[in-house]
Amino acid sequence: MLAVRDLRVSYGGIEVVHGVSLDVAAGECVALIGANGAGKSSTLKAICGLVPASGGAITFEGRDITRASGHAIVRAGITMCPEGRQVFPQMSVIQNLRMGAYTRNDSEQEADLSRMMDMFPILRERQSQAAGKLSGGEQEMLAIARALMARPRICLFDEPSLGLAPKIVASVFETLARIKAMGMTILLVEQNSMMALNLADRAYLFEAGQIVMEGAAGALKNHPDVMRAYLGH
Amino acid sequence: MLIEILQQTINGLAIGGVYVLIALGLTTVFGILGIAHFAHGSISMFGGYLTYFLATSQGLPVLAAIPVALAAGILLGVLVEVLAYRPVRNANHINAFIVALGLTMMVEGINLQLFGHEQVVIPTGLSRVFRFGGITVPELRLYVIVAAIVLVVAMMIFVERTKTGQAIRAVAENRDAAILMGVNVRTIPLIVFGMSTALGVAAGIMVGALFAIAPGIGEGLVVKGFAVLILGGLGSFPGAILGGTVLGITESIAAGFISSAYKDVIAFVVMILVLLIRPQGLLGRAP
Repeated sequence: MLAVRDLRVSYGGIEVVHGVSLDVAAGECVALIGANGAGKSSTLKAICGLVPASGGAITFEGRDITRASGHAIVRAGITMCPEGRQVFPQMSVIQNLRMGAYTRNDSEQEADLSRMMDMFPILRERQSQAAGKLSGGEQEMLAIARALMARPRICLFDEPSLGLAPKIVASVFETLARIKAMGMTILLVEQNSMMALNLADRAYLFEAGQIVMEGAAGALKNHPDVMRAYLGH
Repeated sequence: MLIEILQQTINGLAIGGVYVLIALGLTTVFGILGIAHFAHGSISMFGGYLTYFLATSQGLPVLAAIPVALAAGILLGVLVEVLAYRPVRNANHINAFIVALGLTMMVEGINLQLFGHEQVVIPTGLSRVFRFGGITVPELRLYVIVAAIVLVVAMMIFVERTKTGQAIRAVAENRDAAILMGVNVRTIPLIVFGMSTALGVAAGIMVGALFAIAPGIGEGLVVKGFAVLILGGLGSFPGAILGGTVLGITESIAAGFISSAYKDVIAFVVMILVLLIRPQGLLGRAP
């Protein structure tokens, strides 16, 4: 479904992603794990068109999207739930959710809206509040629901647990598991490797802008190098 | 005394409406692009001049000249965005600042070349005066107030109730997140400049009909517009509406009771006093 080949990303002439190749099949949940600054988030941002790729190719459902602009990529079916949640702080919860459906013209948006609020009851409770007034955990739920409002073919999650209390992190991952169970194709970037590997089908391990290991999530979880470096055993 | 205050309040509402229209344009542009669009006043006056020109030299009825001027204003606003501001979007902020100043001089120069340096008044032919009790309201003033309210309400509905309006807000609040929602952040500034300039041209026509258009009026108006933004609270639409109304009424009361020579001084003194008590502006959020 999504294929990244030899992707390179540079900021101001300094390359941070040095030729990364990865695949995500329809219905799969794939995790990118590794230390902070290993190039995971930059890879996601390049897929979404937020930063330009300086080399390589990204294809989605057979279509080359390497040089496509951000809004065209969303229309193609790729949505990202960004790092740090990035809700629209002064817009209400419901306005944020409606922005998620910005590219849609179908008649089922209101039905999806109430479906999202069934899935996240706190959003129904807070629907007319400014999004900036929500707690970090609630904003994460809003960001996830907003991303789903686009009815994406694949949903990218960038560090959904970052900056949240452990209890909230657990509930974020429960939510991701529910989304996965709904059949959504997921590409997840996460520093909490244990949580990510428990959720994902497959994973890629990033180190210094390159992929150093890949395989089934269960296999990576039990790999001695991964255990030592990332799982604290 | 009360009658006199009411009279000056009505007078102030008309000029306040002009300030609100100018300020709403400035705040939308600032919100989306972070640009202090100084040329806004001069472009607004271009629209006023054009209306005058069409209504006098071309013999068009004023009501027919207004839509032409509005359309020309929208086109000019879009051109300004594409040709002047877009190239410096990712450059240092000072670049956009200099572009804005240069643009102001250019548009003032164009106005001078095309329309001359004479002060002009748009001939509306509206000379009836309504009387409510002891208050007199010239019909032109009443229409200006109504038109300003209609335009402000239309803009609020556009921003709050339409998809494009919401996208404008989203880009202002978080540009990257708006891209992730599928918003085309290259077309949004065009819409914003078109809308802002249309509001500005409407204000320019109002100034030309109520008072007069002359070189330098536009620059004075843009200073007032920014003053309104700060008074109301930067980035707040309701703040711009309240701030413009308050500034208009304050000026009018100051002119009526003290001296019209000091109206600007008094208005700015009131503004400074408000900011001493509420540094974030009337409706701005506390930092």
